[in-house]
Amino acid sequence: MSTGSGVTLEVHGLSKSFGGVKAVDDATVEFLPGKINALIGPNGSGKTTFFNCVTRMIKADSGTVTLAGKDVTRSTPDRIARLGLGRSFQVCRIFPRMTVMENMLVAVRNPTVSALWRGAHDPEQLERARGWLRRVGIDHLEHAEARNISYGQQKLLELAGVLMADPEIVMLDEPAGGVNPALIGRISTLIRELNAEGRTFIVVEHNMDMVMSLSDHVFVFDRGRPIAAGPPAEVQSDPRVLEAYLGV
Amino acid sequence: MRNDSDLQATGRWAGLRRSPQRMTGLTLVVVVAVFALVFPMTTSTGYLLSTGVVILNYALLATGWNFMGGFTGYISLGHAAYFGLGCYTTAILIDRVELSWWLALALTPVIVGLIAVPIGIAALRVRGASFVIVTIAFVLILLLVSQSWVSLTGGSTGIMIPRPFDGLTRVEHHRVFYYIFVAALVLALFVWWRIDRSRFGMGLKAVREDEDKARALGVPTFWAKLIAFVWSAVFTSLAGGLYALWFGDLDPVFQFSILMGAYMVLMALLGGVRELYGPVVGAIVVGLSIEFFKAEFGDTQFHLVATGLLLAVVVLFMPEGVIPAVRGLFTRFGPQASSIREETAEQLAARQDAVGATTPGSES
Ligand SMILES: Nc1ncnc2c1ncn2[C@@H]1O[C@H](COP(=O)(O)OP(=O)(O)OP(=O)(O)O)[C@@H](O)[C@H]1O
Ligand SMILES: [Mg+2]
Repeated sequence: MSTGSGVTLEVHGLSKSFGGVKAVDDATVEFLPGKINALIGPNGSGKTTFFNCVTRMIKADSGTVTLAGKDVTRSTPDRIARLGLGRSFQVCRIFPRMTVMENMLVAVRNPTVSALWRGAHDPEQLERARGWLRRVGIDHLEHAEARNISYGQQKLLELAGVLMADPEIVMLDEPAGGVNPALIGRISTLIRELNAEGRTFIVVEHNMDMVMSLSDHVFVFDRGRPIAAGPPAEVQSDPRVLEAYLGV
Repeated sequence: MRNDSDLQATGRWAGLRRSPQRMTGLTLVVVVAVFALVFPMTTSTGYLLSTGVVILNYALLATGWNFMGGFTGYISLGHAAYFGLGCYTTAILIDRVELSWWLALALTPVIVGLIAVPIGIAALRVRGASFVIVTIAFVLILLLVSQSWVSLTGGSTGIMIPRPFDGLTRVEHHRVFYYIFVAALVLALFVWWRIDRSRFGMGLKAVREDEDKARALGVPTFWAKLIAFVWSAVFTSLAGGLYALWFGDLDPVFQFSILMGAYMVLMALLGGVRELYGPVVGAIVVGLSIEFFKAEFGDTQFHLVATGLLLAVVVLFMPEGVIPAVRGLFTRFGPQASSIREETAEQLAARQDAVGATTPGSES
């Protein structure tokens, strides 16, 4: 289990434009290691694009990203993942034609060439995967094809898959989006537990109840950059935040 | 296909449900394998034996193609490039370098595999339609090179490869090559099967499903694709080397033909790219059809039209291929399907009672 509460993620001057739209505009963010960081902001404020640039799913126009002291600005998404930064997607992404268990096994790290012939269904990894599936509550679906389970279950599977890679930092893009309220509670509890075990979280979320109760530190995005940051209670009453949200 | 409520439980019983099917499949494989091994000894008709060799050649090509196309979902229409490179590497090593035939054959996959590395590095930077175009471009370049580099390849007058085994009749020649092709096919199927079950294979299949998601989970997709690409070139070129030794005469137009690449795609898609035996089944169906058309209508352009139509039918009605389509029929109408459903409904109810409200699965 991860104990790397000290792993840092720092982003400096990150920018990304789509045509004329500045989706992320000179964003500088230093996330609190070992804490639950929240990233909030109105629709279109650039949160998802920011995630994508940090994990190199898309190439930023400028700026630097430093993960655990290493400059990963020119790195690849898979290397960043192997360095301990896991992420989920806003529109849940799983491998639809694989079983739930196979979805989990994809995330097993393959440090050596032995992966070329070693069986995928390694007993030790199967046990680890079952552990995570049990933890998110879908272990009974192990053999089901992922495309056949419900959306809520797919979101849980995606989360379990991210955790299977044993990341020190977990970035979640709207973990509560599109799932029912009972499940939101379950996901919050899980995040809290995992954080207590030493994992850093960075959570983009529109559900304010969840953000306020869950997070240690909130970054408020507006027009591609953070305009305010602080503990939830403080941010909640910040006039700039109210302005951004109400669009005055 | 299935209804939503019984899915959670079918999952649990999937292992059980599969086993009678697996037995049927295994029986079928054994029957076909025995027939394939015995068949050449029961006939002395040169035409039948050479058709057998042609179909085995197709099966090896389609299986070779499936290392890339099947695992990663990258569709190469230009795989004739590696077939042609295999043909010419063997021929040149024998005719110009004067190596023995077996050494030439053994070196061919190694050399073509090495050539595939830089090509893979270049081609795998793009996806989808762009990748298809790059692969076609490569085979066209090779066609031009092999036509114009006469001192090496003999150009369009061709290159002759002496028969490897002296003193065999034509029929015996076909029969020997039949078994050599069988051995090569078994080797290719074995390697494919090992990859299919490996961690590396799991990463490749993840690329086929969603490459970016696979990367986000830490799969080194670039290396995975490159290794699959090289394996693919290795077995495709092995088929080429064997073909050169068997047929004995090469011509750039036939060795580097887009049509040959299209056949490989058609065969693999028809049989089913997710299946070990898919490309073999596809090769048998397509190979026999091609031979039938040639026998009935002569070597006209008609088989081109037939190939096109067949490809369209497969893509439209059996996107998963023949094997999964037939299996689908069995699971839908087979007796075991219904009885397991009843059982799982009970199982489902019992489980839901036991776990109660904490089960996230009960939400939908
Ligand atoms: N691939 C793209 N091409 C063009 N424009 C894009 C692309 N992705 C995002 N944008 C634009 O960039 C801006 C930021 O979008 P982004 O999805 O990052 O916002 P967000 O904060 O995640 O919004 P939401 O809360 O709705 O998810 C928007 O104006 C959006 O239209
Ligand atoms: Mg978003």
